[in-house]
Amino acid sequence: MKGRTKGTKAQRHRGTEAQRHKGTKEMVLDSGVYCAEAVRLAAFVFSDKAGIKVAPRGGTSTAVINGPDAERLAGEFMNEVLNQQCRLDLAKKNSKIAGIIVTRALLSAAGEKAKG
Amino acid sequence: MAQKPAARKTNPSGGVLPQVLWKKTGGSYLLTNDAGHYAWLKEKDFAAITAGRLAETGPLFAELASKGFIRDRLDFNDLAAKWKKKNAYLNYGPGLHILVLTLRCNHKCLYCQSAAAGLGAAYTDMSLATARKSVDFALNSPAMGITLEFQGGEPLLNWKALKGTVEYARKKAKTRGKDLKLALVSNFSLMDAEKAGFLLANEISICTSLDGPKDLHNKNRIFTGGNSHGETLKWLKYFQKKHAAQSPDYRVFKPGALLTVSKYSLSRHREIIDEYARAGLEDIFIRPLAPIGYARNLWDTIGYEAKDFAVFYLKSLDYILKLNRQGVVIREKTAAMMLDKIINFQDPGYLDARCPCGAAIGQIAYNYNGDLYTCDEGRMVGWAGDDLFKIGNVFRDAYKKVMSNGVTRVCVVSSNLEAQPACARCAYKPYCGVCPVYNYATQGSLWGNMPSNDRCGLFKGIFETLFALLKKPGNAAILKRWAGK
Repeated sequence: MKGRTKGTKAQRHRGTEAQRHKGTKEMVLDSGVYCAEAVRLAAFVFSDKAGIKVAPRGGTSTAVINGPDAERLAGEFMNEVLNQQCRLDLAKKNSKIAGIIVTRALLSAAGEKAKG
Repeated sequence: MAQKPAARKTNPSGGVLPQVLWKKTGGSYLLTNDAGHYAWLKEKDFAAITAGRLAETGPLFAELASKGFIRDRLDFNDLAAKWKKKNAYLNYGPGLHILVLTLRCNHKCLYCQSAAAGLGAAYTDMSLATARKSVDFALNSPAMGITLEFQGGEPLLNWKALKGTVEYARKKAKTRGKDLKLALVSNFSLMDAEKAGFLLANEISICTSLDGPKDLHNKNRIFTGGNSHGETLKWLKYFQKKHAAQSPDYRVFKPGALLTVSKYSLSRHREIIDEYARAGLEDIFIRPLAPIGYARNLWDTIGYEAKDFAVFYLKSLDYILKLNRQGVVIREKTAAMMLDKIINFQDPGYLDARCPCGAAIGQIAYNYNGDLYTCDEGRMVGWAGDDLFKIGNVFRDAYKKVMSNGVTRVCVVSSNLEAQPACARCAYKPYCGVCPVYNYATQGSLWGNMPSNDRCGLFKGIFETLFALLKKPGNAAILKRWAGK
């Protein structure tokens, strides 16, 4: 995984925390580590937990979380971004076999024949 | 010119492992592959094979080559055949159809996840019309083998519908050319000779709940109408006698029992297993409580930590093996099903540990009102007020529509281990499966988060134990018998 800044992910995360208000937290995520899609997917997962705004900015994405416990939510959000990034990375490697299994399972259950 | 002495033959190109999964346990490495083969390697051999330095002439190389762990010695026909056998369920439709004949129950079990309704709630009885429509729906599955399982609540409280459904299903299955199996899960408290006679004559397999010795069983399974434990044992014995005698007119199945482990069971594994052995039961299915449906709300009172269950399970397995060595015939069902995959490369029909899981594509739960759910656990979540796992209704939705709806698809996609980051690289992937309902109930997402998932932790513990036991020849012989039954 390419990163624009050096150090561990945790260090990079701590190093890019730009703002800290009560109930609001802004995070800057390096696009070399977390792609924009992973950030968007994590924001979607979080949409029923807290107000969250994401935007691309140069080689980074910014995410602003608003909620009663923004510090904790920001930590959970970063875990979710990591989770989504891992899924996207895995999909690049496994999407073909994963697709074959899902297609065959669904078509067979519906009584349709899968190719191959 | 003198010849140079031959260098020790190694396998630099084929030595690099093909796609394998591995796990370091103690000083050894467990290797597995998608075909279901496994092998143990010592640390030095693992280092040698990954560096391409393993001698081709040794027995270890031959073993690894025969199991598909050497890149340039892959027997694709054998590997593909094993994969196909192990994943044969991908070619069928749902075979298990759970009919909830009523939500009423005369027991008030501490842990009742389905949150049974009181005896007066006759509105939760399935009508015969709904039951018939459910049978018609089930027979639309492309699976040739169809199992109808009657559940509740206590299904014997809706005897009229049960009897009518059996007669209708037998007739319809015959005209559709399906191999129909019927099963009943009952607490036996309403069983009598007439009902038992009907069940036997219609070749219905019977399963009950037995939570252990009298005091423990009755503490878990509260029955104000009498002695739940006594009734359970009385009718177990009755059906066992009928099974031993058989009948010239029909097959009589051996009755089975299910154990639910409450927090009161955790310190009593020996007594529980002894009770099963005394009752002549050859299988004990040690299942944890799951915080699903109403049980989730009661978790502070009835629940326990996953690690406590893991300790209970492993102690139980150890004790069962000890009894086996003494000649007692009894096996643990979860282990037996996992072993069937590990040893025999076949799917034992364990819908909870498949990839993808059996939700909708392997089983369907039919609620009393004809609502369809991905599985019984999904129905329990629905009964607690969240219908996420509802996939249709027998009166309103066609079979194909149900199989292609969004909930069915998302359950298949989310339980596909190839798309789960932690699972895709796990050495136990060829034998394991995740449960979207459990993930949703405990972690708020269908995909879940495996590193902190209790079910994942438990399954890993079971696999680790089984593989360790298989290393010892004495244990392996017993476990192979379990898998072969």
